[in-house]
Amino acid sequence: MNINPLDFSTPAAELNFAGKNVLIIDDYMEMRSIFRDILSGCGAEMKKIHMATNGNEAIAWLKKVPFDIVLCDLILGSGKNGQQVLEEAKYQSLVGPACLWIMITAEKTMEAVTGTAEYQPDAYLLKPVTEASLRSRLVKIWAKKEAFAEIHKAMKQQDYSKAMSLCDQRLASDKAHAADLLRTKCDLLLVTGEYDRAKKMLEGILAERDFPWAKAALAKILLKKNDVDAAKCLLEETAEANPAYLEAQDLLAQTLQVMGDFEGAGTVLERTAKLSPNSVIRQKNLGQVAMKLGKTEDAERAFRKSVSLGENSVLRTADAYLGLAKACSANKNSEQALKVLGQLNKNFAADEVRVKALAVEGLVRQQNGDSEKAKQIADELSQSIGDGNMHPDSEGTLEIARLLMATGDKEQAIRLLQSEIKNNPESATLLRDVAEIFDQAGMGEEGVRLIETSRQEAMLIMNRGVLLISKGQYEEALSAMRDAYAVMPANIRVLLNLAYVIITYMQKNGATSELIDEARHSLQTANELSPGEPRFIRLTAALNELTALR
Amino acid sequence: MIGISNKKQTNTTNVPVVFNMANFLVSSVHDMKNSVSMLICGLDKVLTSAEAAELSTHTELVQMNHEAKRINNRLIQLLTLYKLGQKIYPYDPQSVCLDDFLRTTAAQYAQLLKFREIHLEVRVNPELYWYFDEDLISGVIGNALNNAMRHAHHRILISAAECEGKLMLRVEDDGGGYPAELLEGNGNVMQSVDFHGGSTGLGLYFSAMAARTHRNHGIQGDLYLENGGSLQGACFILHLP
Repeated sequence: MNINPLDFSTPAAELNFAGKNVLIIDDYMEMRSIFRDILSGCGAEMKKIHMATNGNEAIAWLKKVPFDIVLCDLILGSGKNGQQVLEEAKYQSLVGPACLWIMITAEKTMEAVTGTAEYQPDAYLLKPVTEASLRSRLVKIWAKKEAFAEIHKAMKQQDYSKAMSLCDQRLASDKAHAADLLRTKCDLLLVTGEYDRAKKMLEGILAERDFPWAKAALAKILLKKNDVDAAKCLLEETAEANPAYLEAQDLLAQTLQVMGDFEGAGTVLERTAKLSPNSVIRQKNLGQVAMKLGKTEDAERAFRKSVSLGENSVLRTADAYLGLAKACSANKNSEQALKVLGQLNKNFAADEVRVKALAVEGLVRQQNGDSEKAKQIADELSQSIGDGNMHPDSEGTLEIARLLMATGDKEQAIRLLQSEIKNNPESATLLRDVAEIFDQAGMGEEGVRLIETSRQEAMLIMNRGVLLISKGQYEEALSAMRDAYAVMPANIRVLLNLAYVIITYMQKNGATSELIDEARHSLQTANELSPGEPRFIRLTAALNELTALR
Repeated sequence: MIGISNKKQTNTTNVPVVFNMANFLVSSVHDMKNSVSMLICGLDKVLTSAEAAELSTHTELVQMNHEAKRINNRLIQLLTLYKLGQKIYPYDPQSVCLDDFLRTTAAQYAQLLKFREIHLEVRVNPELYWYFDEDLISGVIGNALNNAMRHAHHRILISAAECEGKLMLRVEDDGGGYPAELLEGNGNVMQSVDFHGGSTGLGLYFSAMAARTHRNHGIQGDLYLENGGSLQGACFILHLP
């Protein structure tokens, strides 16, 4: 064939720009006008092309107009960067799944090499952007959106089995998206907890090609099955062969932390933070690991970076502020620590956060020698918990226990720690943190004994209901699980087992609205504590079936 | 690279600063790339306008556009090689439709091919998909195409096919073929690079590095140069696992 520019304009027939709302976000006037010309050359209407020079202007436009196409430069001068604009737009649902979001970058970035992260653009396009390159990219994204539209809809409705069968249907004919379809199907199998099927599929995929994402997915399955050593090996191998695939490295750091190898986790996190330094979460993790290692200055630096990155981001975390306050305090700068806690209270309103901030304030005061104020805060917290009108999360409970230990109320601290272990008896991380608190309070041996007793007690109660069900003793199972729930109201396994027992009981003896409500409440609580557990998804489906039958 | 301003100013007056030439080179290349990008966008805009073909300077503009793109590609190659060396290149293999890919790459040279009256043929099965880093390999093919355009008399053939479990990409021309010195290394492109004779060696070195970055099940990509082939000229052959 003769190569002639006209030969390459044919695909645009599938992509009609007329009537489409377009947003161009770039801090350079010249670039904005170049993009506008390109888009109008593609057929977009001038009056439907809007322009923003910075993040705030962009957000204001996004709130006003439902855009079909967004072209956004990754670097926008001061204020929000392109990634943060995208995060906010998605977080606040300012753009729907049909919107095409293209990030423009001068160079290929590490962030482009990632999987199906929640806050990813549809594509990264390298400068110089020409009409041909933009057009061909838009056509491709368009086709992909269409291929996945029904699948994503089913996923959003949590109808995972439908989503999977839609994947299979498409896989039979759609060669262009085969790779993404396979990957989506594996993700679905992981979400629904069908680990053996997922494993078999992944092994089949890996026999063809060394996909880092497939290896990372296998490692996730190994972690779910508590085979931490094998997961670590696989992730190390994957990270070594694909240094740019940061997901494997982040997962490796997480695995090493679970194993208690903070030194190793720190090395991995430092490496990834160097490759991709602008992640709020990664910098926070780095700070936490540095803190564990006693590198308080490194910790302060990382937490500070996370906080400052978070200033313009919807993904900011309270943990970074708490970590920063603790690091400052450890670095003998209690004034700064208290200031950070003040900022935290300004930015985060949730009760769990306030409780944690208060507990950390108590610890800062104690470290600073103001034991009177520390004691006052400790008493206040202790009182609220005793009255039952405060429900700190797991980390909050640990902070409070730390403060109580430091201010001399060992009895209450031990009580809190024991109940926390019962809520999470299988978490190695929690058990280690509790042991550390006992250690620091100079009650190491007694602590080990207390931890072991609470853990065993919890494990026994947790499984009693399920055991009784398997013996066919439905009434007894139900009352056993209700007792367990009374003792361990925030134990995910107990909550899910309770729901399971109620559902099985109803399948046998018929459903009542009281039992349905009880099961639903139990499931919802579990999902709040740990969103998206495969068992939650399966049990919810079973419960919905029962409700539909009535 | 995302610039996050560091609010805390550090006092550098007492600290002896070690100048790292590599850092200067990298940041300058990056800066030049931005300027060249603007230049290309501007030229593209002029050339796509309706009156462009009427201009007396049209030929010169097309040539300028081509040269600007060449500079841009060179700068990208330099930056990429630097990143590959530092193990910080965001290597990102994806499933790519070869038909699409080769046509898009070739389209960038359409105008120039027309001027030089060179006939370019793309021969590939539209159903062929392969996994590779699109940016790296489009740099490699663009480079080979540039070379072929300089030496071809009338024809260039680009083809892709699966061969013994690997992807074989060929860029062939009907020119005089590679000089003997270049073929001496017999596949070892790194050794055949001649820094004194006309070529800078960068293109071939980049291509070889890009090929070798691709791995699957322990097998690396590779690069071969031959004379002959279906057009009896130079053959640039890329194997990807």
